[in-house]
Amino acid sequence: MMMNITDMNKMDKAVIKSIRNLDKSFQERLMDLGVYESANIILLNKLAFNKLFLIEVDEIEICLRKEDAMMIEVVL
Amino acid sequence: MIFLLAGNPNVGKSTFFNFVTQSHVHVGNYSGVTVEKRVHHIKDYEGANLVDLPGTYNVSPTSEDEGVVTYSLLNEHYNGIVNIIDSTHLKRNLHLTVQLLELGVPSLLVLNLKDALRNNGYIIDEKKLASILNVNVINISARERNKEDQLAIVDELKNLRARKSINLNYPQHIKWGMQRIHDLLRHDTIQVKKKWVALQILEGNEGIFNSYDISKEEKIREVVQEVEKRIIKDEVAFSLKGAIFNTRRQFINEIVEECLIQVEEKEHSKYYNQKIDRYLTHPALGLPIFFAIMLFVYQVSFGTFLGLGTWLTDYFTIFYDNVIIGYTSQFLEFIGIEGFAHGLVVDGILAGIGGVLVFLPQIVVLFFMLAILEGTGYMARVAIVMDRFLSKFGFNGKSIVPIITGFGCSVPAIMATRTIADKKERMLTILTIPFVSCSARLPLYGIFISVFFDKYRAPMILGLYILGILVMLLSAKFLSLSYFKGSGSKFILEVPQYRMPQLRTITYQAFEKAKRFVKKAGTFILVGSIILWIFSNVGTTGINISQEDSLLSVVAGFVAPIFYPLGFGNWQATSSLISGFLAKEVIVSSLEILYMGDISTGFSTLQALTYVVFASLYVPCISTVATIKSETGSAKWTIFSVIYPFVIAYSVAMIVRLIFMPFL
Repeated sequence: MMMNITDMNKMDKAVIKSIRNLDKSFQERLMDLGVYESANIILLNKLAFNKLFLIEVDEIEICLRKEDAMMIEVVL
Repeated sequence: MIFLLAGNPNVGKSTFFNFVTQSHVHVGNYSGVTVEKRVHHIKDYEGANLVDLPGTYNVSPTSEDEGVVTYSLLNEHYNGIVNIIDSTHLKRNLHLTVQLLELGVPSLLVLNLKDALRNNGYIIDEKKLASILNVNVINISARERNKEDQLAIVDELKNLRARKSINLNYPQHIKWGMQRIHDLLRHDTIQVKKKWVALQILEGNEGIFNSYDISKEEKIREVVQEVEKRIIKDEVAFSLKGAIFNTRRQFINEIVEECLIQVEEKEHSKYYNQKIDRYLTHPALGLPIFFAIMLFVYQVSFGTFLGLGTWLTDYFTIFYDNVIIGYTSQFLEFIGIEGFAHGLVVDGILAGIGGVLVFLPQIVVLFFMLAILEGTGYMARVAIVMDRFLSKFGFNGKSIVPIITGFGCSVPAIMATRTIADKKERMLTILTIPFVSCSARLPLYGIFISVFFDKYRAPMILGLYILGILVMLLSAKFLSLSYFKGSGSKFILEVPQYRMPQLRTITYQAFEKAKRFVKKAGTFILVGSIILWIFSNVGTTGINISQEDSLLSVVAGFVAPIFYPLGFGNWQATSSLISGFLAKEVIVSSLEILYMGDISTGFSTLQALTYVVFASLYVPCISTVATIKSETGSAKWTIFSVIYPFVIAYSVAMIVRLIFMPFL
């Protein structure tokens, strides 16, 4: 079973395996912010009753919705 | 000499721009694109201008703002590019740098936030960076406004020369595609390097096709598809753009490895953010905190208690009425201008402009306070707090800033939607913002409530505000289910570090917005006031007639039957609504004039209720409509933005009338 961001615990570190399940324009916006395959991330926090996920990539903090975070596959 | 200033959002670009240019010398808009660009003279460099391009992560456009960058690079005449980057986020910032350096035009790389990087315990080996990237590099901290830095920048710009562009080692498939497209472009005239254009096309930069009429466009698109197919088939990457991105990332990682030097072990400051954020974005506390802050902001801008804005507006009104109107009136009489021309200037133009201008102090205070909230980074937290709620109605968390601004005035609110990347969500926000009760509607509520609903002051005014919000939310829901169906509804937000906002930058932002408010409102109110005054003072029989014989009453009498079903189908009520199109405050002043200062003679309680509900929701004022036109660039949506609220207001007013008919 592949893990995604929503499976991570707070302060877990992981490597992004795939963002290809997201639609193309969103992939591009993620890439602009540094969220891409093989990038290192840290799950900083779960917000708004676990509906939003705050991650850190390249020292930048980024907030994603649960629906999108679920599509980003990671390995710890 | 013209230089383009490019950089990622949030890297201190505006601070840098104000630092190296004479900020109060406005050169004007640069070229005919929808999003405005600032152009200022560069300090200590005679005849040189700097063009402030919108912040972008990438040359190829994903939002409207970013399209401007491609357009400028391809079509404008410029002598060089100044690329400013945030030294503390090198990895991400260098993506844009690489793309700009591939272009091979004279460039200066400005490493900003030197001090912040040093605080994190790092420095950049700028000489090494300059030699790897083959570009002039300067390392500064724009916030400090160091005179030596500024002169060094000017010196660099004066000696800027073209260098050989950098060449990254892209995968074979991409090199093949670049060569093929390069060959297909041979008959087209393009002012930049064709190899660069070829790579941008492979990356999916639609701006190229928008800017140039490329003869072999179809063939080129086939090549792009072919390259993408091969890349996926051979598992080079998951997409063509991804393959290009990966090559650049690898290159950048190597640079960062070599040039970023740790000089001191430091505790990371970023987790500090989380402690405050635990409260500010708390699922339960976040919202009340936000409302408390907003209440304070509104109290200071529009309230009576702590009301700095109201206080200033009161004095401004006295000054305007007594000094400007008073003396102009006396002066006109002194030089012998009386009657029609005197009335036109004093009661038409000056009174009309004044009705809007008196709100300026309040609006400046509001802008100033919102700029502080924005500058600290708090608004990003608000977007997080509001996203879940707003997304249910088809908005984006980022819509909250425009919506809040909308309680003050729809014009800056609509301008603030530029940060919303998704086009549909932006359009949705633009179209529904006018339903929010702006400050200009307050006089209308005030007068109707004091005349007709004196017993129910608080519930009435609260009710009208809530009605506006409800209509905004529901009509957004309706639009998102119908025309804007399937809108991407994506929310991705970079959460910035908290920063101490700089007074200079905030003041500049607030006044820049205020200037636009005056300019936009001023031009329309001026023209509108002239027309309205003439229409209400000229009749078919000539000038100096009673108002019942004026053209306004004839026109309004013609339109009035539309409002029979709502119960207020007379010409006075109708013409007030027509003049309210100029500015919502004008509804009140028209009613006062047309009913000789006693509105209670004109309406029954039920009529008054229906009227105030209708007037609070119907068409946006003319300044708002003009802003919608300039921001959407679409005549279709501008017309829609007038008709849609009219229909909604009519329906809501009808429902209210039917509900309250048995009681009133």
